[in-house]
Amino acid sequence: MEQGEQVIVAGFPLALDRRYQAETHMWVLPTDPGRARIGMDPLGIETSGTLAQLSFVPVGTQLTAGRPFGQLEAAKFVGPLVSPVSGTVLAVNDAAAIDAGLTERDPYGAGWLIEASLSDAAGDLSRLLADAAEITAWFAAKIADYRRMGVIAQ
Amino acid sequence: MVARQLPLSPAAGPVARTSPEYVRISMASAIALRVRSGRFSRDFEFGGMNLLLSYDEGCRSDCGYCGLARTRPGSYEDKSFIRVEWPLVRTDDLVERMTRFEPVLTRLCISMVTHGRAYRDTCDITRRIAERVGTPISILVAPPTLRRERLEHFRSIGADMIGIGLDAVTEELFRSIRTDVPAGGLKWEKYWEVVTDAREIFGPWKVNVHTLVGLGETDQDLLSMFVALRDRQIFSYLFCFNPEPDSRMAAQPKPSLRRWRRVQLARHLIETEGFGLEQFGFDGNGGLARFRAGRSAVETVVAKGAAFMTNGCPGGKGEPGCTRPYGSYRPAEPFHDYPFAPAASDLEEIRQQLLLDDVVR
Repeated sequence: MEQGEQVIVAGFPLALDRRYQAETHMWVLPTDPGRARIGMDPLGIETSGTLAQLSFVPVGTQLTAGRPFGQLEAAKFVGPLVSPVSGTVLAVNDAAAIDAGLTERDPYGAGWLIEASLSDAAGDLSRLLADAAEITAWFAAKIADYRRMGVIAQ
Repeated sequence: MVARQLPLSPAAGPVARTSPEYVRISMASAIALRVRSGRFSRDFEFGGMNLLLSYDEGCRSDCGYCGLARTRPGSYEDKSFIRVEWPLVRTDDLVERMTRFEPVLTRLCISMVTHGRAYRDTCDITRRIAERVGTPISILVAPPTLRRERLEHFRSIGADMIGIGLDAVTEELFRSIRTDVPAGGLKWEKYWEVVTDAREIFGPWKVNVHTLVGLGETDQDLLSMFVALRDRQIFSYLFCFNPEPDSRMAAQPKPSLRRWRRVQLARHLIETEGFGLEQFGFDGNGGLARFRAGRSAVETVVAKGAAFMTNGCPGGKGEPGCTRPYGSYRPAEPFHDYPFAPAASDLEEIRQQLLLDDVVR
């Protein structure tokens, strides 16, 4: 899948061709009507630490927005991968499950996490950040927050 | 699903970057000093920095359970110590960062490895730190590189505590995994010579002996060691065996959490409550089968939570100093030793893991 426009914000790449769930750092890229690919942005990955393992629910699992669809484990951190949408898991990225480094190296491309059919595409997508200026401002503010918190290397 | 083996530092290239100019630091230290991005699963104060000497040839010992073992497959750059990457940093840059973060630092520990240059380089690094940073310094020593005068010198240049990584708590076990191995040769007697010298030089409760649960010892072996060390006013620090991939003991399972918790509790009762070996009962295999103490007394100790916290050298004010978060288990596993005082919900889990009904009347 071709990647669209990316900009660099305070050293972090930011793809502007998709939508974002601000609290969880999940991106959603509609691929076909009622269908989307989901991943994590590089800021969410970076602030978790060096990734050790990604695990996902099985294909066919029902997704609920705000509920986990998997787990991220880093060197000193473990946390849920939280779905930004409701629907059904159509595919999981086995390559990322085998090598979590793939998601670190290419978070917007080959390091995607799952693909899903959306049960309420209009509703779920409308709740995500979509405007390029809005996304960029949110991303910059989060970087500043994380720097203050001391979770980004200096 | 197989977990990814975390890579060692990408900063380590073909040019020799060895101690004393470079040193490895634990990932927790790297995060705290902002050398690396990341965070801990739980929010807690962390100030115990762990340093590890680094050489191209690696450690010259060959312990069956260690990720740095000489005959473990792969180059030293590909090896890991206690499961995760230890980033390589310039020593002077590290000291600079330590000065910047000194208010939150609680304890600094320099771990030697068995190498011909280790003593000289440990002195060099200790001096560089002690000149700029007031945080207390421990040295986890490599006994084969030492003699009494060298321990005295460590004290004179600023170390206030000494650790000895005995790991195996019986002579037979020590020989089988650290001496009589392909490139082994470590001597049980030498380790104890260093323990004795360190105790005389550094004083009571200034020396610690690392003991590893899960190498093949019995609970009775462990508790006997805890009592012997306590009687000499030497700390026993508890570590949990964690199989390192490709090491000779990679296939050996970790000890069960129940066993680990009970050993933690017993160690604490021995060291801080004065329990003797006669206050524990063992089954025919040396397994801990009974705490011969009142249920309420044991419950009181459990409720305080300290028994289940990381054993480590204290900070300058006596507070927990070296807490090694996730030091011998993965973040996705239950806490084995807590780098903070366990919360009420943690204590509830601990009680379930201990299953005291089976061992305390």
